Amino acid sequence: MDYFRSGLKSVLGPPPGNQPTGAETVERLVSRVSTSTLLEDRRDACRALRALSKKFRLEVGAQGMDVLRQVLELDRSDCEIVGYCLDTLCNITAKQTFEEEIDNAVNNVQLNVGEDFTETFVGEQFTEMFLKNPENVNLVLSFMEEYDFRVRWPAVKLMTSLILSKPKVVQDIILVSPMGVSKLMDLLLENREVIRNDALLLLINLTKSNANIQKIVAFENAFDRLFDVINDEGGTDGGIVVEDCFLLLLNLLRNNTSNIHFFKEGSYIQKLAPMFTLPPNLEEIGWSPQKVSNFHCMLLLVRTLVSPNNPAQVVAACQKAMRNTNLLEALTDILMAAGVPANILTETINTVGEVIRGNLTNQEYFSNVQAPSNPPRPVIVVLLMSMVNEKQPLTLRCAVLYCFQCYLFKNEIGQQTVVHTLLPSNEAVASVTTGQLLCSGLFGNDALSNWFSAVALSHCLVDNPAQKEQLLRVLVATKAGAQPFGLLQQCAVFLQRTARLQSKLGVLMLLAQWMAHSQQAVKVFLGVSGAMAFLTAQASASEYDDNEELLQGLCAFLMGLCVAFNDNSEPNYSKENLSQLIEKRVGIETYCRKLSEVSHHEVYALAAKQPQPRAKHSGDLLLEYEFCQLFKSMEGVIYQALGRQRDLFSGISELSLSEHENALLVQYKELIREQDKQIQELAANMGACKMRCKELEAQLDDLQETNKQLVDQNTLLRAQLAANSSNIAIQDRHLDLSSPPNDSENSDLLEKIRKLESDNATKAADLDRIRKDQDDLLELLTDQDVKLNSFKDRLKELGENVDDGESDNNSVESENS
Amino acid sequence: MSYAYLFKYIIIGDTGVGKSCLLLQFTDKRFQPVHDLTIGVEFGARMITIDSKQIKLQIWDTAGQEAFRSITRSYYRGAAGALLVYDITRRETFNHLTTWLDDARQHSNSNMVIMLIGNKSDLESRREVKKEEGEAFAREHGLVFMETSAKTAANVEEAFINTAKEIYEKIQEGVFDINNEANGIKIGPQHSPTNPSLPGAGGAGGSQGSGCC
Ligand SMILES: Nc1nc2c(ncn2[C@@H]2O[C@H](COP(=O)(O)OP(=O)(O)O)[C@@H](O)[C@H]2O)c(=O)[nH]1
Ligand SMILES: [Mg+2]
Repeated sequence: MDYFRSGLKSVLGPPPGNQPTGAETVERLVSRVSTSTLLEDRRDACRALRALSKKFRLEVGAQGMDVLRQVLELDRSDCEIVGYCLDTLCNITAKQTFEEEIDNAVNNVQLNVGEDFTETFVGEQFTEMFLKNPENVNLVLSFMEEYDFRVRWPAVKLMTSLILSKPKVVQDIILVSPMGVSKLMDLLLENREVIRNDALLLLINLTKSNANIQKIVAFENAFDRLFDVINDEGGTDGGIVVEDCFLLLLNLLRNNTSNIHFFKEGSYIQKLAPMFTLPPNLEEIGWSPQKVSNFHCMLLLVRTLVSPNNPAQVVAACQKAMRNTNLLEALTDILMAAGVPANILTETINTVGEVIRGNLTNQEYFSNVQAPSNPPRPVIVVLLMSMVNEKQPLTLRCAVLYCFQCYLFKNEIGQQTVVHTLLPSNEAVASVTTGQLLCSGLFGNDALSNWFSAVALSHCLVDNPAQKEQLLRVLVATKAGAQPFGLLQQCAVFLQRTARLQSKLGVLMLLAQWMAHSQQAVKVFLGVSGAMAFLTAQASASEYDDNEELLQGLCAFLMGLCVAFNDNSEPNYSKENLSQLIEKRVGIETYCRKLSEVSHHEVYALAAKQPQPRAKHSGDLLLEYEFCQLFKSMEGVIYQALGRQRDLFSGISELSLSEHENALLVQYKELIREQDKQIQELAANMGACKMRCKELEAQLDDLQETNKQLVDQNTLLRAQLAANSSNIAIQDRHLDLSSPPNDSENSDLLEKIRKLESDNATKAADLDRIRKDQDDLLELLTDQDVKLNSFKDRLKELGENVDDGESDNNSVESENS
Repeated sequence: MSYAYLFKYIIIGDTGVGKSCLLLQFTDKRFQPVHDLTIGVEFGARMITIDSKQIKLQIWDTAGQEAFRSITRSYYRGAAGALLVYDITRRETFNHLTTWLDDARQHSNSNMVIMLIGNKSDLESRREVKKEEGEAFAREHGLVFMETSAKTAANVEEAFINTAKEIYEKIQEGVFDINNEANGIKIGPQHSPTNPSLPGAGGAGGSQGSGCC
């Protein structure tokens, strides 16, 4: 502080009488920059402005922005002054609040009486002012071509600050600026590391969610550059810079098919692969936190390339390259290495899963990997042991399930291999097998293990009629010495016995996967005593709590499968009997509602989103991706099967209707027509309401925008006012001391102040009025919302399918580190 | 696979002239009749042979960005070759060539090889631009010219390969600075002189034990 003051003194000379206020000082400096004819002088003033630009950010920004911009243009050949200006601009446009600034705000209460203006907003405000003229961005870009450290470095920092405040605007300007991206990319070749590292941060922010910029950056040899930097910095053992490089790579590749294609074609997977090889002495030296971060990014990078969301062709090509470059091998080595941190191990399991998913060669490779245990066991077995082990962390168990699912995905041979381990055979099995692990997990005491095992087993049956049949041959001995029991029967019994929702849902999903398209499985299920009664009771239950509606819905779903895939060989449960059962005991309406409650459930929406099971708490694991797929495809089939039965049924009966029944029928038809009309009216009504709601929202947006603008104006006016009053104070002092009073100028200024003050008052009044309007509108909006909801409820009561329009913002992504 | 050189290409021209189809035909040897912007190949690569040297072509398609010239401009500097495409059944795409060419000349390095392509030569009955007009334009502006069909694959290989030949010749003549990657040319990773795949060379299962493939 003292340093600043003395610096200022030397520039300004001793203060006349009192200490000048910050605003006064800034005012003087700004006028000095703009009027002084000596470069030396302007430079000193700019240096002083830079020193004040944190503490008196508002003043410097409000008064100095234009002058600073001018200097950048007119004095551009003087690196020193340009550096000061860029630094100053960087401070006033910064998104964060400076400590000095807070101190100042506390001391300077009179400037912001009763107003809680946030400083971060000031930075954004000044950024916006600066960006109003796109040429300013080009100006800053041009300074990056200047080699002088005093210019290039602050230019990089200023650009970063601008991007952080207004990413979209800056991205759009740079995109159309001639060679804009090229200039930034050249910075990665910088040999002064500070600049290069800051350029990395700049590029990370610049490439966020803008596919065009990502593409150009990649075109400008970003992959080569970044791998060079990574290698220079020591690879995975390198510091935060390496991590930054990986973050930029991630930005360039995430959801950018074109760049992924380029990455693969440019043989960059080959460059990535060796980095996954762990040094032999890693166990002794251990994993530094930075290495863990770097590794985590690398794993994410691999997953970005083979993400199930990418086009299948691209994924297949990348998977192949990963196998050929031994990247997959290195990953499986990590699975079995000692001392790997838990989160890295978990993420490696997920990664291995996606590298092999749907790729027969890679799946086969994986199934042959042996863990170096004693005796050696297939790595799959070792992983499954963790999955059904209560003591393992949830994320790890989820990862194993995912990896196992990926192993079985479109892998008939894999499915067969697992089922085969369960079949009765003559050969004595020496060691534990995948099938055994899953079966013991399926009926064990841990609900989560039940669920995991059921889901895992169900994946052996996806689109595989042969294995559905084979699995029916599997017998389980419940107790030692007891009569062996079919696996499916055991599932049906377990379903009725267990009290745990998670276990029930798991088993229901397994049964559904099993029985869909399998008349044999359905037949076996129908033969289990009490099974159908259980389903019926659940499906017809009218009350539920927590997530029980899922249980009821899944039971209804299973009943439907029993109708759809019924060979009529069980006389009591023929197609016709079952549909009558549904109609009479459950009621068609209730039945349909139970089904739709499943597909409208948030748990369903979450599970259907991506193949990877994700959960924060073990209780969150209820439904699973492949089951959701099955549910989606079977819903229609079930309705159709039921409908056909009903048509047959009612076709016979309508002929034999009594007069009374006929009258009733007519009455019902009338009722339905009536309700139909009502529904239509309500729908129209709702449409109107939605429109009105939209209009109001738009109005509200407008008002908020105006409001914001007014606040901005207000802030600036205040700053100007403060500057003006200090100006006047100075002038007053001058007048006291010297020469004849200059009345006209004085009154001019007074007039100006009065005008500003009255302006300000009007603006404040406007603001108040608009705030009030806004409140009223908000109230109105709430009313409309309530109405809308009540209409929706009414529509729902009337059985109309109302789209709630809930956006699914419940993504639980934990990407990035 | 190792290569002697890597060339970067861009494909430019009005929307709908068949840029994406040309790229797909060249890299995948297939034709996609439906104009699907969402598929947007956007990037393709293929290995070719010139003068018994392996040359890798990396090709960027300016998919969906034709309207935003300024975005396309970002690609000029780093490209060694450009295919400038018009549609022989739509005269306006031919009329726009000058703007495209001006843009390309202004923003590219001066050695960039530009190949002019009149595409859709299979649609003879709907032709609006005579072959001679294309030739004249090319002659006037010092470009190589060719009519192609992304549908029948006629001349597609030739268009990409001839462009590469031009670049290759310029390298031989020493016009291109091959050490400046900004020119869109890269020299291949060192070709190891001890190529293990030579038949008969070195005993199989020898002591080197380099199991790499
Ligand atoms: N008959 C014919 N149609 C073509 C040819 N090349 C492209 N098309 C069609 O022209 C349309 C535009 O092609 P496209 O490659 O998407 O053009 P782009 O916008 O330049 O990428 C598509 O409907 C193509 O099927 C060609 O050589 N012959
Ligand atoms: Mg296209």
